[in-house]
Amino acid sequence: MASPTTLKLVVSSDVRLVDLIHNAAEKVAQLAGFDADDALNIGLAVREGAINAIIHGNGSNKKLEVNVTLSANGDGFSAHITDEGEGFDPQGAPDPTQGKGLLKTSGRGLLLMRAFVDEVVYSRRGARGMEVTMTKKKTDNRDD
Amino acid sequence: MKVGVRNIGHVAIVDLAGKITIGEGDVVLREKVNELFDAGQQHVLLNLEKVSYMDSAGIGELVACYKRAKEKGGSVKLLNPSGKVFDLLQLTKLEEVFETYKDEKEALVSF
Repeated sequence: MASPTTLKLVVSSDVRLVDLIHNAAEKVAQLAGFDADDALNIGLAVREGAINAIIHGNGSNKKLEVNVTLSANGDGFSAHITDEGEGFDPQGAPDPTQGKGLLKTSGRGLLLMRAFVDEVVYSRRGARGMEVTMTKKKTDNRDD
Repeated sequence: MKVGVRNIGHVAIVDLAGKITIGEGDVVLREKVNELFDAGQQHVLLNLEKVSYMDSAGIGELVACYKRAKEKGGSVKLLNPSGKVFDLLQLTKLEEVFETYKDEKEALVSF
């Protein structure tokens, strides 16, 4: 079992920092014991969560921060991302895999997140902001 | 992301290398394909063999290229999507939208 470790990042709402968050998530996933392919998928999921927080949460307002906590633990990997924006409906976009949704040029972030980790939970943070928690269990720790 | 263009007959092959992601690769792709369309090119083959992965912004830009080509009476097709890129095209069901080829010659005669 990998020894637990945590990384916390506080970034301004700047998409140029998304690569850094992605790379950090990929590294922490590797420390949690995931292979390179799974770690890339986890990195992509966290990347999409960060993009949502920066663009849809904070409206790309660089004065607003995005907090990212990445953890490797005995069960696998988890990420917690918060923003300070007005809040948004992550389910609001139409299904991007059906009908007219197929030709939408945006709205696929949540689809990717759900595909690459086991659980994605969005909730509102009190008066302002959203938070999302993503978890991915190591295969040998899954219940199924 | 690196980008190069080869013109073969009436088709522009856009060789992409790297990742098509927000704020970087998606912008490079948009600018290059717009440049081709603005120059009168109608048929574009995006060579994805050396693209390691895309995020939702990169995927969205692929769709935007497809739509712009349609508006101009042209077409955008895909060549050799790599493992991860192919997985993403399947996941998003865009494999149903894009004509995708493994062989460049076969792709060229399809236009």
